[in-house]
Amino acid sequence: MRTGVFFCQTDDNRNLNIDAIAKYSANLPEVETVQILRLKPLPEINFICHQIKTNNLERVVIAGDIPGYYKPVFTRAMALAGGNADEIRLASFQEHGARGENAMDRAKAIVACATMGVPFPLAAVPGGNPVNHATLIIGAGIAGIQSALEIANAGKQVFLVEQTGTIGGHMAMFDKTFPTLDCAACILTPKMVSVGQHEMIRLLTKSKVVAVSGKPGSYRVKIKQSARYVDVKSCIACNLCTEVCPVKVKSEFDAGISMRKAIYIPFPQAVPNAYLVDEKSCTYILSEGKKCGVCMKKCPKECINLNETDHTIDIEVGNIILATGYELLDVSKIEQYKYGIFPNVLTSIEFERLTNASGTTGGRIVTKTKRFNKKTEKDEWIFSPEGIPPRSVALIHCVGSRNKKYNPYCSRVCCMYSLKFAHLIKEKVPNVTVYEFYIDMRAFGKGYEEFAERIKQEGTFIVRGHSASVEMKDDQMVVRGEDIFNDKLVEFKVDMVVLAVGLIPSPGTEELSRMLGIQRDTDGWFSELDYNGSPTDTDKGGIYVAGMCQAPKDIPDTVAQAAAVAAGVLGSLTSGKGLGHMSSLTLSEIEAKAKTIHTI
Amino acid sequence: MSVRVNPMFIDDLDRFGAEDVQLCYQCGDCSTVCPHADEVYKFPRKSMRLLQMGLEQKLETTLEPWLCYYCGQCSEQCPREADPGETMMSLRRWLISRYDFTGIARQFFKSRITEIIAIISIALLTGAFLLFYGLSGGNIHIYDGDGAFLPSPFIHKFDLSVGGILAVFLVLNAIRMWYFVMIKGTTFAVPWWLYITEIYQLPWHFLTQKRYSECERKREHKFYMPWIIHLGLMLGYVTMLVLVMVFIEQLQAGPEIRWQVHIFGYLATIGLITGTVYFIRSRFKKHYIQYKKSHGTDWVFVVLLFIIVLTGIAQHIFHRTGLYEWANITYVIHLMSVVPWLLRMPFSKWSHLIYRPLAMYLAAIRRDALVRQVTIINSNPVVVK
Repeated sequence: MRTGVFFCQTDDNRNLNIDAIAKYSANLPEVETVQILRLKPLPEINFICHQIKTNNLERVVIAGDIPGYYKPVFTRAMALAGGNADEIRLASFQEHGARGENAMDRAKAIVACATMGVPFPLAAVPGGNPVNHATLIIGAGIAGIQSALEIANAGKQVFLVEQTGTIGGHMAMFDKTFPTLDCAACILTPKMVSVGQHEMIRLLTKSKVVAVSGKPGSYRVKIKQSARYVDVKSCIACNLCTEVCPVKVKSEFDAGISMRKAIYIPFPQAVPNAYLVDEKSCTYILSEGKKCGVCMKKCPKECINLNETDHTIDIEVGNIILATGYELLDVSKIEQYKYGIFPNVLTSIEFERLTNASGTTGGRIVTKTKRFNKKTEKDEWIFSPEGIPPRSVALIHCVGSRNKKYNPYCSRVCCMYSLKFAHLIKEKVPNVTVYEFYIDMRAFGKGYEEFAERIKQEGTFIVRGHSASVEMKDDQMVVRGEDIFNDKLVEFKVDMVVLAVGLIPSPGTEELSRMLGIQRDTDGWFSELDYNGSPTDTDKGGIYVAGMCQAPKDIPDTVAQAAAVAAGVLGSLTSGKGLGHMSSLTLSEIEAKAKTIHTI
Repeated sequence: MSVRVNPMFIDDLDRFGAEDVQLCYQCGDCSTVCPHADEVYKFPRKSMRLLQMGLEQKLETTLEPWLCYYCGQCSEQCPREADPGETMMSLRRWLISRYDFTGIARQFFKSRITEIIAIISIALLTGAFLLFYGLSGGNIHIYDGDGAFLPSPFIHKFDLSVGGILAVFLVLNAIRMWYFVMIKGTTFAVPWWLYITEIYQLPWHFLTQKRYSECERKREHKFYMPWIIHLGLMLGYVTMLVLVMVFIEQLQAGPEIRWQVHIFGYLATIGLITGTVYFIRSRFKKHYIQYKKSHGTDWVFVVLLFIIVLTGIAQHIFHRTGLYEWANITYVIHLMSVVPWLLRMPFSKWSHLIYRPLAMYLAAIRRDALVRQVTIINSNPVVVK
């Protein structure tokens, strides 16, 4: 097949010597022409068309960092020239990880595979390593739980590592799920309980992976388990210790809108269902045993030991699943929304906890009330069940998402959960007005569009236009925006503003990617091996990604991906052969392997 | 009414400075933060939209670009970095080229080389003409009075003829602007008396630039005060123009210059020098978003004005210190930069001196007419049965 290679490299050249790669690709079989275009704007269609015609090309390879950007032009040129548009092959240096030491060899191999029409991961990943039968899962949110259950139910050992005191992750904090408005806890808690009771799952809460060594199929992992200070087996969750504890801090599980004690249980359905001590706020631990310690005296089972120390666990596993999840962007740096300045500007997760029946107000949606704090002698705004319900609420989409200054990407879930919020507010607060400011409504899933239509019919004012400012006018919060469909500048008086804040990778992602050698994409999420072909694998053998840590996604997608990961893991365990690191093959080996793969 | 779409319009405007319009995804953040956007004139988003759709004929009848003073809040806030502020600036450049019927402005905005060649050739022609005149009848050692190198009555006639050409172009362009906005672009009835009741808008906005002051806001940088500097520059400029056009014979006359002329001359010079230095510095330093991108014509504007001010001052000093030969030489150089500057006026950024107040005036008329229209509709409900 007569092939032409076009290099469309943009500014970011990294260590790649494009001229050398071009010279190499000129010597590949069946390559007729190699051209270095070095384009920033789009190339001329007529020029490309002319090149295809004069060289009589049957296949075109676009090589560069983001060849997909140029693909539409080449496709049109190919069609104009009368060729087969399916024979436009992409050789993406960025996507297939041509960076670091052997970037040049990798780039050459990527171009070689593309000229032969072979998907790069197919030729470049070695297989056949023997695999240890235990699996490590990092992160016990819904993704980690789902994977753990799938693998454990197949009779294989799972180590489930969780940084906080309970499993459940963000989903445990939610009230309802969209679009079915099912109760999130009703779906999640049975799964959590079966994780806690499963004989094949070893649950390691308050733990962190500190070192990973070894090769695909047999990784040696060092896990640091922080002291919980409460014996999980004998704790009966009687709550006596919490009653006597004098220390009050903001509850992480309640997203900071309520207070908890230094010895606490995150939420009543926590797994393991045992109390734990926050070493950062406990008076006894901070004073090194000189003060307090009342909980130890009060405990009827004598299961509290505030002198417990951290310890490390060494395990050996065959596969590792990353399910580390996400966190919210720090919205206080987007100054125009006055988060942290006006009390009733909330983030989405705060609102989620407010509306949750197990939350601090018992599920009542109220505005914050002012209270005098005797200790700090300052007024503070808190949620109390006796608070006044809001008369009007503004929901603002795309806060920090699709914004070049913060997150250039779409966080994918915000449109839907904001619509869900609109429904919950309408349902719980009588005579409330809800304004929803959006840019583009991304109702992408099964039943989502119908859900959006339903919310519109419920009487929510859906404003097409982004609100850019939240201001205070005569003690009344005012949201300004442009209603584009009705061609009006609008200004609404509101009592509460809920910001649909963009999502970013959880804070440990960078450290973990360095430890494991996993690539991250430009936005910080873990890179998968191939976005379409193998969305759960990484370029390291035996290491998988599941859930939000790969890219923002909703709960159904997360569960599906987690189950897909389990299938990959179980496949390697039953066949006894796992995949190796993608970088372990040399250029000539990849070339030889690519030749053996038959393509249609 | 059919509307013609020009799909290449967005590419055309690229040359005027609006590079990132296609990035805009119509969120409306810019219109929300804009201190000047209101119920009748909503921008910059709407202008960006018209631009993206290629509605060239509709855009040429809008006044919105003139209502923007480029404070840059929209560009700072823009989530797509589509730079709406710069787009409005580019639209103003484009509108200047549309109002100009000769097509010269368009050439100047699109090609910096054409503009510079035009300026240099006019400068050389002026220089040659003045040297020829001076050498044929005057003495280089005499500055004014009998046998002067460039006697003031001659310069007066010269100034008035240049000013006359300038005025003809400006008035014709202003009429075209009025035609575009009020005839082509207005679909509702505009009563004639509104032109009289709103006439105060013209001198008011010309002399105070009140709306520009509404643009200013607190910045991190302490020297951020473009309104007052711009006002000083403009007032200095106009004062100097009046002095030169009307009082040139007193300005150039011997050592006894009248004190009124003296004071106004010095005040105008202060305004001009502060303004040009401030804007040149801002365009170099790029502290504020509105000076981050400088079109070629922006540079020609400030630099040429700066040269005029410098040569004017030098000429004055030489004249006062009795170095008449040097005074005559700098006078020729001064006029060599003044003439192209004045002739360039109707085709360049400078013409906003006329268009801005005119736009405020027409905007007020349109607003009143629209409000009146809405009131009539509201007070006469349509009876169906």
